[in-house]
Amino acid sequence: MDDRPFREGMKAATPIVLGYLPVALAFGVLARGAGLSPLEVGLMSLLVYAGSSQFVAVEMMSNGMVWFPIVLTTFFLNLRYLLMSSTFSLYFNKTPLRTLALLSAQLTDESFALAMADPSKIASRPSYVFGLQIPPQLAWVAGTVVGAFFGGLINQEGFGIPFALPSLLICLLVLQIKSSIHLGMMILAGILSLLFRWALPGNWYIVLAAVTTACAGAVIEMLRRRE
Amino acid sequence: MRLDRVWMILGMACVTYILRFLPMALFTKWTVPERLRWGLEYIPVAVLSAIVFPILFFDGGGSLSLQPRALFAALPVFALARFVRSIWGCVILGMAIYWGVGFVL
Repeated sequence: MDDRPFREGMKAATPIVLGYLPVALAFGVLARGAGLSPLEVGLMSLLVYAGSSQFVAVEMMSNGMVWFPIVLTTFFLNLRYLLMSSTFSLYFNKTPLRTLALLSAQLTDESFALAMADPSKIASRPSYVFGLQIPPQLAWVAGTVVGAFFGGLINQEGFGIPFALPSLLICLLVLQIKSSIHLGMMILAGILSLLFRWALPGNWYIVLAAVTTACAGAVIEMLRRRE
Repeated sequence: MRLDRVWMILGMACVTYILRFLPMALFTKWTVPERLRWGLEYIPVAVLSAIVFPILFFDGGGSLSLQPRALFAALPVFALARFVRSIWGCVILGMAIYWGVGFVL
């Protein structure tokens, strides 16, 4: 089997891997503090593999909440994956479903954004996407378990580490600005996300801002074609 | 392992997996309507923007205010990404400025 696309994907994934490690260590420390064992931390990272909802779950656990509200919150917090998976699906209509069943389990904000920076690389190339997604997931699982064991010994606030992932996301956001319409959509989504975050409880802002923006984009496209 | 922990981890895993897999399963077998496809074109820029902007304008407690440390680091990263398009360069520049600004503010 040709493993070049896989290796190409792995190479592209290194910024995500390095961005995840400090966040993973921080999660391990917090999760241990909230009473999860290193085994439970590792299982959660492997099976759930969704950073922000894992942080929220641990926060809710520390406040004494039981599993059901935590699962429900996870659902709403991760609704954005519906949108990302929908966009991703456009590039894999020739890929077998069992391959997609594995591939979609590893979808994250960062791997999605990196993949969409150059969609020609992912179109009908699942092995490239596996290369892109497996190392970050391993890094996340390993990092959180190490954090659960030894995290207290590491300074995760130093050297600008908290801004590693935001920097990566900003770069990937800029790479998405392919036209003046994309620029307008970036500004629209940014303003809407601030508005929704400020006005609404919970974590609806990402999904609401993204859906509204995508609808606006579709309307603009429709008007352009009518001209 | 305590049973409620098992439910929590499995429950979180199931709901997250459904959200990740369902569109992939449906849209790769059905033809995606043209208008939906036009909207999906803007999902990457919209989702990323909706994640990045609140980092720059909300504090950890969830109140709206300028985040000078994040903004000082973010603006050069925007510029670098626009003109050089280097992912590594952006991550290193952003971390360096964020670190440096931490000594000043």
